[in-house]
Amino acid sequence: MGGFLTGASGECLVTENSKPDNNDPLAAATHDLEAAEMRLAGARAEEAAAELDVERAIEEIKDAERDRDIVEVHVTHVNEVEKASFREKLSSTLQQVWDKSYIELKIAREPKDVFQTGGEHPKSLMNYLGLTLEEARRQKVIENFRFGIASETGGA
Amino acid sequence: MARANELPTQDLHAGAAALDEDIPRVLRIMGASSLEELGWSRLNKLSLLVPMAGTYQGNEDSYLVRLGFQAYRKWPPSAQFVNPETKSYVYPDDQRFVPKLTSSECYTHVAYRRTPQAAPVQLICCSATLEFYEFLHQVRPEHVWRETDTFLTTITAIRKALTSFYGGRFSASGQ
Repeated sequence: MGGFLTGASGECLVTENSKPDNNDPLAAATHDLEAAEMRLAGARAEEAAAELDVERAIEEIKDAERDRDIVEVHVTHVNEVEKASFREKLSSTLQQVWDKSYIELKIAREPKDVFQTGGEHPKSLMNYLGLTLEEARRQKVIENFRFGIASETGGA
Repeated sequence: MARANELPTQDLHAGAAALDEDIPRVLRIMGASSLEELGWSRLNKLSLLVPMAGTYQGNEDSYLVRLGFQAYRKWPPSAQFVNPETKSYVYPDDQRFVPKLTSSECYTHVAYRRTPQAAPVQLICCSATLEFYEFLHQVRPEHVWRETDTFLTTITAIRKALTSFYGGRFSASGQ
């Protein structure tokens, strides 16, 4: 009986010296059966691998959907010259982000602190604290997720 | 530490040292490696130049703020909008280099006089500027400059007024 080799993709390779004797119908049929069984085994292995890939893809989609609802928030404490970054849900309100900022910064809240946008054009967010990050972005109250905390100054 | 109704005292050596110390802290928090990267420049040991901009009726106007550290950090830096060419403010010639800021936290005057006889000077009326205390301006205890504050507090306060309470540029006549 001739031997079989399995190719990289699981296909059956019949070696030159394993060719059945054409004059023996039983040997030929046995050879065909064995070759078919090898192909079936290869196909089942491929199916199992494909099922694994599908499971992984589903997990990736779930992760991506989870990530889509979470953003990286950057907060600068102007007076203390400290900054912190943390992940926050888009459904969190600006008030919640402000509150969490003190925990992340490890700085105590001062009575006259103001929550504002970050960057070169800081704008007070005190009238928008009830908005979620998503709402604030959609309403163009914020352009990004960079914020600042600064103590109110006196003037006029 | 700064106190209401107390005149600031200058300490040039301490001011320059505190500025040396605070520049890296401020750069770190702003994610910059140098003053130049931010467009800022150190004119001398006691002066920092910071460009700023305000948008009024769709037009963006550029300004230059000069911060002085002669009494820093016990007191805030002095702050003046200056002529970009001379890096100074001379009344009345340089009034057009001053923005109209009308925030309750930061208000600009191009010709402030403490007494009717006094010479007019520019005043960025904000508890984060030295001039505010030099004029013995009334101030609430919670607004008084703290020694933990840095010049970033001053810059942020002025920028915030430029963002939301900017009424255009003063004219050459001060209107």
